[in-house]
This record gives sequence, structure tokens and C-alpha cells, in this order.
Amino acid sequence: MEEQLDAVPPLPPALPEPPVPAGPGLPSVPSVFEHRFVFDGRADEYFRIWIVNLALTLLSLGIFSAWAKVRSERYFYGSTRLAGVPFEYTAKPLPILKGRIIAVSLFSAYIVAGQYSLFMQLGLALLIAVLTPWLIVRGAAFRARYSSWRGLNFRFIPDYGEAYIRFLVLGLPLILSLGLLYPWVKGKQKAFIVENHRFGGSWFKFLLSPGQFYPPYLIAWGVLSAWMFVFSMLMFGVIMASGSVRSGEGPAGLLVFGMTAFMYLGYFVVLAFLAAAIANLIYNHIDIGGRRLRSTLKGRQLLWIYASNTIAILGSAGLLIPWAKIRLAQYRADCLCLLAADDFNDMLAERATGVDATAAEVDGLFDIDIGL
Amino acid sequence: MNAFKAHYFDGQSSRLHEVEVQRLDVHTIRVLGDGIDRSAVASSLRISPRLARITRTIEFSDGARILASDHPLLDQWFPQEDRLQRMVDRLERHAHAVAASIVLCLVVGIATFAWGVPWLADRIATRVPPGIEEKLGSEVLGQLDEYFGFAPSGVSQARQDELSARFDMLRADMPDARDYQLVFRDAASIGPNALAIPGGTIVVTDQLTGLFDNDREFDAVVAHELGHQQHRHALRQTLRSSFVLVIAALFTGDVSSASAIVVGVPAFLLQNHYSRGFEEEADAFAFATLAAHGTSPAWFAAAMRKLDDFHHDSDEDEGIAYLSSHPSSFARIAAAEAEGETFIAAHPELIRETPGYDACADEGICADEDEDSEVGDCDDADCTDAGESAGHDEAAAGADSGACDKSAVEGKKGF
Repeated sequence: MEEQLDAVPPLPPALPEPPVPAGPGLPSVPSVFEHRFVFDGRADEYFRIWIVNLALTLLSLGIFSAWAKVRSERYFYGSTRLAGVPFEYTAKPLPILKGRIIAVSLFSAYIVAGQYSLFMQLGLALLIAVLTPWLIVRGAAFRARYSSWRGLNFRFIPDYGEAYIRFLVLGLPLILSLGLLYPWVKGKQKAFIVENHRFGGSWFKFLLSPGQFYPPYLIAWGVLSAWMFVFSMLMFGVIMASGSVRSGEGPAGLLVFGMTAFMYLGYFVVLAFLAAAIANLIYNHIDIGGRRLRSTLKGRQLLWIYASNTIAILGSAGLLIPWAKIRLAQYRADCLCLLAADDFNDMLAERATGVDATAAEVDGLFDIDIGL
Repeated sequence: MNAFKAHYFDGQSSRLHEVEVQRLDVHTIRVLGDGIDRSAVASSLRISPRLARITRTIEFSDGARILASDHPLLDQWFPQEDRLQRMVDRLERHAHAVAASIVLCLVVGIATFAWGVPWLADRIATRVPPGIEEKLGSEVLGQLDEYFGFAPSGVSQARQDELSARFDMLRADMPDARDYQLVFRDAASIGPNALAIPGGTIVVTDQLTGLFDNDREFDAVVAHELGHQQHRHALRQTLRSSFVLVIAALFTGDVSSASAIVVGVPAFLLQNHYSRGFEEEADAFAFATLAAHGTSPAWFAAAMRKLDDFHHDSDEDEGIAYLSSHPSSFARIAAAEAEGETFIAAHPELIRETPGYDACADEGICADEDEDSEVGDCDDADCTDAGESAGHDEAAAGADSGACDKSAVEGKKGF
């Protein structure tokens, strides 16, 4: 499930954790076992991997970054165990390098185009927008395909039509509704990502309607709006402070900075709670062939980890990034478990079950992983 | 030892088989136990690269796999073909390599922020079309008007024209002179201040024009802002800040989720660092411009002092904790005064047009008993009335002695 962890990025929203659905939602099999995700990665160990790979990336002008990514992913996957068996990340570096070269080229083309013609830049921006759903599908498919557990692979069904509807077409009502549909659209998108995943022959089901994404977002919006209202005016002081005769020295500069920091603080707090709530909401409504996940992330705990990570990273000139990543992964694993009545010995690979075996080989054609 | 315990998965089902892996001979591997008994040529098996303590995977060509804890035996039985990964693994375990990596990363990181970001930002700044910069500028001015309560100036038109004429004189010889314009605004919220906005506009607050009692101080401030414009500081600053944001976000993005704040603090610190360099550059430009127009750079020092004093007073009134000693301000004043002395040395005839010039103390033309005890040298001189006090340059005409100008300037530093 490591890949699922990442499929739900430390994304924007959500407040208090909704109560974990207790027994009723679960399959009514006599004895359901709670299988905890166990993470045993160590900061000192990961630090060595991280710093050496970063140095090699710098020395190779970025080319080694694909190898660095694979080693880093393998460390986190391999350090996460479920029912005593670690996850495996089996991707090769070259496809990742290919994906990164494409991403960097697109981005550079976009920047360079801006120097010469606005029209060209708009065209490229449009191209990137049109490519986005495709890239999302490719990324998810790549990640799933190279994630495995107990010798079975995850898989993501590349349903491009549906991807374009949910990640592009739905943008129109979102804009027309002035953003009011945001939680609903987000819910549709998450449902798409979850429901197109398979583990071996087991299908992922999402037991949540998009409307149920509203409560956490609404609470977050309410709190954030109140906060923003108070401090938005002071934010523009930054503009003022730069370029003035006494730039950065005067009380105005300090005051404006203090207020801006205060405003971000509110943003930070809301974000942590929202992240916990949304992650719980999603994980707690995933059904994998009759097995259920349970996530019990706490907003307060997540906030503490984010805040202390931030301070540690700033105070160490970035050297504590590995430590920060390890403890975040640790906490996420600690809060996640799989409820299942069996011992996982009877799940079958897709080929064995004859489920939709056609798509697997198509993946190889555009075997790239986008995303820096 | 030529056997080890492992987990075996056939790749078709999730069933875990507890097995023993044996080496029958150099070429043949046998997996035995829990209903499994298969042999394979060792060279047909692929082992995952070594990585910390991570479980190793030995894969059969049909997708079946053995999962085993890392063990030295594994790399003898199943040679790793990927030499790059083998080398990286060795580096990761080597204390010296780790130490060298730390040094390399820190050096590259510091160099990136100290030189890379400014260099790149400046390269791009030179390519930003003037149209875009002007748009940015009018945007900023609009925001100032809207959010900072900048109101139309209350300064009389005649006075505005007078100051604009001085501004026109200062900018006359500058390459982009026609793009520069002076704008007056009443801005109680920020008090006496002048801002250089992208695109060539310089905003001067009524509070600033009201603060100075000599137009040369106004010239000094405007020359400084023209320096910002000449070097396109506003645009370069904006670009630098955004680059810092992007780079920092790349590195911290996935760790703290709220990269905004992770990134905000160093960005602010760097911004201050960068802008200090810009201030010095603008100051140097101001000194040169003033000197070229026959005005002593010491007027810049005079203007800075007044601004400092003003902000000092207002801070205490509002009870805001304030860094009472800002060395950079003192350094800038000192630099201006040094420039002023150089200027006077080159143009001794202009001594009377320097700030704080005291005809009595400096030239001995005093009225009666002089209260200026700082300048002891001239106390007992034969004085006639000059009627001029510090801060006014229109000193009475008289012979230029120059003997005391140095101490007069130094006396000023006590502020």
C-alpha cells in the first residue's frame, strides 16, 4: 500500500478526523484480523543513501537523479512490511530518466517560448494542460506496475477517457461554480484513482460518494477565510518593503513580515488538519477484494510532525530532510492497518484469474514516470 | 554454509512458502520446502541491488521470487550485474564518502543561493520585455493605492513641478531616461518613503517631501531610487525571490506539505541579503549622480539621518520593538560622508553647499558668543554674524577656509 500512501499526497485540505467507521462497514466475516503496517526505516541509514545519491546527482548534473529516486523508493518500500512481508519497488531508473527529460524539456520550452512569443507560450501551456490527465494516468500506472507485495503486482487501469473527464472536463463546472464544486471534483478524481487500482486479481472499490468530501473542506475553508480576512491586507506590505529607500530595516518591514508569517501559520495549521482528515476519509473507504484499510491519522500529531520537520530542516540547512521523511513515513505507517479475515495466502495474480489481461503489455510503450 | 532460509512466492498467487535455498554447485540453485522443489541455473536468476538492510529479491525468469534478508552469501551466489548500483552501495556504506557528500552538497547549495540564483535571475531580467515590466509596475502601483491607502498627493502643483524639474535634471543623462517618471502620493501608512517600482516609476510620498528642508536631500533620495531603476532592482529582486522559492520547494516539497512556510523563511532572509547588495549599488549610483550634478554625496547622509530619526521617533510612539541599532544604516551614512569628503576635496569651492555647513564655526564668521562647543577650534575666532544653522546650505558668502569642515562632519556622526 505504499503506493497508495503516495497516491494521496500531503494534499491541501481537511480538519477534524471523521470517526473511523467501526465494525458495521466491514465484511461480516467471523474473525477479522488487524494487520498493521510496520515501518522500520532508520534516519541514519536513509541519510547515507540520501546524501550520497544527492551528491552523485549534483556531480552528474541531474542525470543520476533517476537512480537516486529508485534507491530512495526502494528503501521506503522495503522498510514497510505488512503481515511480515515487505513491499517492493521494482522500477528501473532509465524510464524514470526518460520521463524527467521530457518533463524538463517541456518546462524549459515553456520558459524559453516566453522569451520570444507569448502566443507560443500559450500554445505550450495549452499542450501541458491537455497532456495532464494523460500524465496522471501514466504516472499512476507506472507506480502501480512497479509496486509489488508477496510476488503480486499492483496495477492501474489506464482509462484515459474517464481521466480526461475527471481531470480536464470537470474543470469547467468547477470554474463556473466559482470553486464551490471543488470538493466534489476532488472526490471524483480520488475515486477514479482508487477504483482503477488492482492488486493481483483484487479490485479496489471506493465506498464514498464525492459529496462526502464536503464537510472537511467546508470547515477548512471557513477557518481559513476568517484567518485570511484578518491578515490579507498586511500581506501586501512585502511589496512595499522591497525597493524602498530603507528597505527591510524599518518597523514596517518587520511588521509586515511578522503578519505574513502569522498568516502562513494559520494556513499551515489548517493544512495539517485537512491533510489528516482527507487521508483518513479516503483510506477508510477503500475496499480491496473484501479487505478494508483503516487510517487513524490525527491532525494534531501531523501538525506537530510537519512543524518540527520544518524547523529541523531549516535549522540544519536541509541535512535533516532524511530524518523528516523517515518520521513522516513512520507515523503514516503507524496509523494504517489492513483489516482482513484471511492470511493473504489465497490472492491470485491477474493472469491467473483471467481478469483484463490485455492492458498489461500496452504499458510498456509509454513506460515513463513523470513527476519530479 | 551453503543454504539459507527464505520466503518464496510463485508470482501467480500470494501464497508464502517457507523455503530453504541451497547451492548444489557453482551453477545450480535449488529451492526446497513447503511444497516447493525447483532448481535453476544461478545465472538465470536476477538479484536486486544491495541497499542498506533491505530485503533482497532473487527473481526467476517466470516471475517467481525469493525474498531473503541481506547476507554476504547472496552476492557470491548471485553476482550483481549492475556495477553502478554496486558502486553506489559501497559509497553509501563508506564514512568518508558520506562526509565528502555532505561537504559537496553544502558547498553546491550555498553557491547556488549566493551566486547561481542571482546570476540566473539577472540573466532573465535582461530579457524581460519592457512592456511586461511596465505592466508589473502599474500593477504594483495599483496595489499600493488600493491596499496601502495611497492617496493623491496634497503637495501643491507648483511644488510638484519644482521637484519634477529637479528630477528631470538628475535623470537627463541616463540611458533610459525617458522611461523614468516621478509620481507623488500621500501615504500616511508608510510615512516618509520613496519607492522604485518596476518599469521606471518612482513614487515619492508627501511625508518625504515634507520631511526635508533642503531640496538637495530630496535629490539624494531620488538619485538613490534612480539607481534602483538603472539596475532594474525591483524586477531582479522579484525574480530572485521566485527562484529561491522554486528551488526550496523542489527540495522540501514532499516532506512538510506546507512548503509555503518552509520556503518562506529562507526566502525572506535571502531577500534581505540580496537587497542589501542592491541598496549599496543604488547608493553608489546616487553618490556618482549627485557628484556629477555638483551636489555633495553628504546630502545623502543628511537625508538618511532624517529618515532614521523619523522612524525612530514613530517607533517609540507606537511601542513597537525595533532594532534600535541597524548597522547597515550607519554604514551607509558613513559611506555617504566619506564620498562627501572626497567630493569636497575635489571641489573645495562647493564647501558652503554641504549639509551642516556652519559659516560661523567653519569660517569664523560668527555673530556673538558661539554655542557650538563641538567645534572648539573656532570658538575664539574673530566672528561675525552668519546667521546660518546646521541643515541649511544657503550659507552666507564668505572666504572658504575649509579648516573645520572635517570636525563639523564628524560631529554629525554622533546622531
